[in-house]
Amino acid sequence: MSQLHLFHEQTARQRVAAVTDVGSFAELLPPPERLTSPYLAQLGIPVSFDDGVVIGRAKIDGKKVYIAAQVGQFVGGAVGEIHGAKLTGLFKAAARDGVPCVVIIESGGVRLHEGSAGEIAIAETMRAIFECRARKVPTIAVIASDIGAYGGMGILSTCCDFRVMTEHGRLGISGPIVIEKWMGKKAYDSSNRALVWKTSGGKTKYLLGDADALVHDAADAVREAIGKLLTKSSPVTLKNAKARQKELEKRLKRFGRTADPDDVWKGMGVRDIERASLASGPEFVALAKAGRK
Amino acid sequence: MEKFTKAFPSKPLRVPKDRRWALAGVVGSGNLEVMFERAARASDTMECHVETSIPGFRDSWLAALADFAHHYPVGGTRVTIHDQGAAPVLVNLRLRQAYDHLVKTKT
Repeated sequence: MSQLHLFHEQTARQRVAAVTDVGSFAELLPPPERLTSPYLAQLGIPVSFDDGVVIGRAKIDGKKVYIAAQVGQFVGGAVGEIHGAKLTGLFKAAARDGVPCVVIIESGGVRLHEGSAGEIAIAETMRAIFECRARKVPTIAVIASDIGAYGGMGILSTCCDFRVMTEHGRLGISGPIVIEKWMGKKAYDSSNRALVWKTSGGKTKYLLGDADALVHDAADAVREAIGKLLTKSSPVTLKNAKARQKELEKRLKRFGRTADPDDVWKGMGVRDIERASLASGPEFVALAKAGRK
Repeated sequence: MEKFTKAFPSKPLRVPKDRRWALAGVVGSGNLEVMFERAARASDTMECHVETSIPGFRDSWLAALADFAHHYPVGGTRVTIHDQGAAPVLVNLRLRQAYDHLVKTKT
């Protein structure tokens, strides 16, 4: 079934089913539990049975995992109090049980209707991710749809050990329209798709090392990438946080004044921009690796 | 926001016992989610609860649900709908999709 659909076109439940072993998924707090948002109800906005996130236990290649998938079509996959509590609980369970945790992200970040409750929920989930990593329990974020991972969910994805992306995926803090509003259309034109994807898309994120795998837009490819990363995890320490900070400072110094994202690609060793732009995820990975040599 | 609950006569459901619920659709603009749940006992009514962001279309909803209950054997189920402005034809499609998920032995 997974080959019939592009991964980014599948629903959250289809994605979970497609990247886990057949019949292994057992949903936690499924729709009949009706754990819905009290805030949306107060505002007269329709609620969803699962508050926009599917969570549960499953197996990948026979190995136990906890897995979550956000529903991007429900208020942009945004994180409210219940939605966030489900994610927090899942990562806490992963830390407790020593079982790897995978989150398929499709979210603009905090659900603004729920303000601080959503912010706190994301912060608590990040803490739970650090708990996992402190215990060397692998945590993986999958970013494979054009809603992408933005705001708090962008930050949350970078708290995980690894990020698996497709070229459709986007990763950032402020979304393109927000950047344009603050910096002006001259500085950043959010309607320029090539610019948007070249600054926040999967290919660029892979080049800069923010994504650890760049794969085809297909469940089997995503599943294979997850499988390879499921065994590794490292704690977040002050030492490696400082090292990462140094790397980012270097990146900012090198590319901070660059107006054309192609220059970043060239700077990272991509020789043929045209070819790299048209390449599939795995082809791009090969080009990037060749460029590094 | 408008909410209402109503039961409709329908032939009893024939479903594998292990399947307790089924879901179709998503709460997005012009879309809706429909959940079927099997009641504890077989009966000849379909219990419906609708929550919609678009008020004033109660009669259309009741007509669409009565029509579905008439054409499909869904007695002994509880149907809950969260709607964000779906057109009647989509309501019917989601009801049929959720019903299919409920009665199909394999997903």
